[in-house]
Amino acid sequence: MSVGKILGLDKVVTLFNIIRQNGGIRASLYKLYRQDELKDGVLVGEDKFGNKYYENPRYFYSRNRWVEYSDKFNMDYDGSQIPAEWFGWMHYKTDLPPHQDPSRPRYKWMTNYNENLTGTTAQYVPYSTTRPKVEAWLPPRKSSV
Amino acid sequence: MTKADYYCSVKLSRCRCCQSKFFNESIRMLRQPLTRALALKSPTRAAPLAARCQATQIQPQPDKVEVFIDDKPVYVLPGTTILQATAQAGVEIPRFCYHERLAVAGNCRMCLVEVEKSPKPAAACAMPVMKGMRVKTNSDLTRKAREGVMEFLLVNHPLDCPICDQGGECDLQDQSMAFGSDKSRFTDIHFSGKRAVEDKDVGPLIKTIMTRCIHCTRCIRFASEVAGVDDFGTTGRGTDMQVGTYVEKMFLSELSGNIIDLCPVGALTSKPYSFAARPWETRRIDSVDVLDPLGSNIVVTTRTNEVLRILPRTNEEINEEWLSDKSRFACDGLKRQRLVTPMLTDSRGNLTPVEWEDAIVAAARALRDCPPEKLLVVAGDMADAESLMALKDLANKLGSENVCTEQYFPLEGAGIDLRSSYLLNTKIANVEDADFVLLIGTNVRFEAPLLNARIRKAYVHKETDIALIGPQVDLTYDYLHVGESASIVKDLATGTSSHEVMKRLQQAKRPIVILGADQLKTPEGSALLAYTQELALKVQEKLADKEWKVLNVLQRTASQVAALDIGYKPGVGKLLQSGPKVVYLLGADNGVVSRDQLPKDAVVIYQGHHGDNGAAIADIVLPGAAYTEKRATYVNAEGRAQQTLVAVTPPGKAREDWKIIRALSEVVGERLPYDNLDEIRDRLSQVSPALVNYGNVQDNNYFAQARALAQSLQKPISGKMDVQLKQLEDYFMTDSISRASPTMAKCVQAVLKQKQSSY
Repeated sequence: MSVGKILGLDKVVTLFNIIRQNGGIRASLYKLYRQDELKDGVLVGEDKFGNKYYENPRYFYSRNRWVEYSDKFNMDYDGSQIPAEWFGWMHYKTDLPPHQDPSRPRYKWMTNYNENLTGTTAQYVPYSTTRPKVEAWLPPRKSSV
Repeated sequence: MTKADYYCSVKLSRCRCCQSKFFNESIRMLRQPLTRALALKSPTRAAPLAARCQATQIQPQPDKVEVFIDDKPVYVLPGTTILQATAQAGVEIPRFCYHERLAVAGNCRMCLVEVEKSPKPAAACAMPVMKGMRVKTNSDLTRKAREGVMEFLLVNHPLDCPICDQGGECDLQDQSMAFGSDKSRFTDIHFSGKRAVEDKDVGPLIKTIMTRCIHCTRCIRFASEVAGVDDFGTTGRGTDMQVGTYVEKMFLSELSGNIIDLCPVGALTSKPYSFAARPWETRRIDSVDVLDPLGSNIVVTTRTNEVLRILPRTNEEINEEWLSDKSRFACDGLKRQRLVTPMLTDSRGNLTPVEWEDAIVAAARALRDCPPEKLLVVAGDMADAESLMALKDLANKLGSENVCTEQYFPLEGAGIDLRSSYLLNTKIANVEDADFVLLIGTNVRFEAPLLNARIRKAYVHKETDIALIGPQVDLTYDYLHVGESASIVKDLATGTSSHEVMKRLQQAKRPIVILGADQLKTPEGSALLAYTQELALKVQEKLADKEWKVLNVLQRTASQVAALDIGYKPGVGKLLQSGPKVVYLLGADNGVVSRDQLPKDAVVIYQGHHGDNGAAIADIVLPGAAYTEKRATYVNAEGRAQQTLVAVTPPGKAREDWKIIRALSEVVGERLPYDNLDEIRDRLSQVSPALVNYGNVQDNNYFAQARALAQSLQKPISGKMDVQLKQLEDYFMTDSISRASPTMAKCVQAVLKQKQSSY
């Protein structure tokens, strides 16, 4: 065991590594603000929405794979923005990311992945099956258009 | 001369001396259905309280007889039935066919009671009491008789209570629980089936499920006695007996809905209300009807903020326990064509929904920019007294006196200064005491159906004769048609005519004259009113009964009397010709004001609850509340103030009418000094205490003064009288609520279809 380790200097080194990897102090502070954590890792791949997937086995299992959401989501990111192709890798169902997995089926009819739109204006609202209690008067149109 | 000849001649002479009496009796027998004529006359039944007081003044009361109900002594008038005597003793006897307001039929046998020293149980509804009679209403024999009758009724009654609309308010259900046997002997293991009867089609209002009928014949008696449409009857005997219309025919009456209430089982139920709700799910709110001028008392049944149906509420002074079809079934119009949001015209001239603030500010700007003499306020059919008051105060504060109603009434002479000249002075309940009724230019049957029912009641039970000046219409009773010309009234009043009507009017002890307010619209209206006043007063001053009022004016709408009391000018006439810049329509939907009569730049503000003629021409629409949605005062044709209660909330952004006007006044800058209902009612009572004297009518006087003022108006008149509502199909759709009602539209269709039928 080295002196540096005993004094905990390797942690300081790691910190500097992490800051360097994330693009300096300014960029690191922004990432910390956006994601509430700052990690170093290997970029495994990027999906078509611009989300970046990282891996670092130094962290313990279940924290060693993570996603950095695309900048276009700003602060409005959530788990449903991870497309189905990456879902398996993120949840340790497979160790092969989609671009390295030859057995993945690719058909023409497969549609693009859609995030969960609940809570947004585009959310699905079922139509009402109850009749309205009061029918409002529609004024006659005096001019067309 | 043989002995036989002698007897013969004696008999003949006796006949001759009582000939007139016999003649009268035979007439009465013709007017009444046979059951009624043969039934025992019971003095306490026919007349309501007010009428009874007068009857007792003339005839001394006969001595009362003592009877014992369950060993409790009760003193009743001779001729009273056992059922009425037990009611006095506080014991209720179960019944199906008996009804207080109909003739006694005595065919259901449910009211059987044991009478001591009588070999058989007696039907309490038909058996008059005798001195010292001892009735046992809870003896073994009585109970056994009831159980037996109930068993027979249930043998052929279907077990469909779970899907029956009468469930929960069914007399048969209730009485089988209270008086029926605790176990059944109905063991139809072979499923041979109960008696089944084909359903009848009697129109779009009444649904018939004739298998449920227990043959109480209440509907038949109502149709022939009260409604005056003798279409219902029975065919067959015993188990083959059926109630129906013989040939398939619509029940062509404006009172048809009442047979739904009368039916003790679910044989006759309401078609629009079918499968809608159970009575225990609903809330009932007492209210007042505003679709005709009588202000019938109603119960509004609601569930989840929705009016489901309207039922009559007993008020002996007005509607007894009946209700006209329009008042009962037009309630589905309250859910259609509603104004739910304020609206403003956009740059293209189309009305578009806006917020209250924008609409009020726009209306206030229009009112503020308008010169006072160019402001016109027009109140419609169903405006309540509070909003009328608030709107008049607002107009007055803005310096305008141009507040008027849609309905016209002549202002010459006494005009509307004396209440007696525009009210139904006799009062509705007293109409049945009249012995001669002269109708002038009115079709009472459709203008005020329940007043017509009263006249018919007098006609059937009291030998009242009726004469009509005006177009010949079907009033459901016979009348003497004098003619259509208005000059007849003049001839009668001036004494130049020696028509039979004049003689009858002079002979009558309690005559009444009812003048339809619609006739006063013409330029000759003031003269017609003057002559009618002259005629009525000439008759009235010769009467022995000094309290009796002869002159009646029948208004057409529920708001008119309150509006005139508050001081609205009747009719828009001249005010409209002066070219108003701002027209404020308070529920004015009768098309009296139209766009072509107004200057091009005039702003029309419409406040009301339905999108009808008024809203269609408006620039600014302020959504108000209908009569089921506000606590408001209405004054009926007799001058009786009554209030509606809130049954449901106004739809969408609609608000109570007087509150809208109060809010508007604040923005205009002429704040009205009342903030709540009590304060505005205080203001109403300042104008006229009668407006807040709920449920009571003040007696009208000053007839002589009105007559004196009208003397100069007695000019020659020549026109023919015409009424707006002639046929049943005209009756159903007359105002913004009933015009929006699909049920009323179906009624019109059905009546027109029935008219084409050969029956």
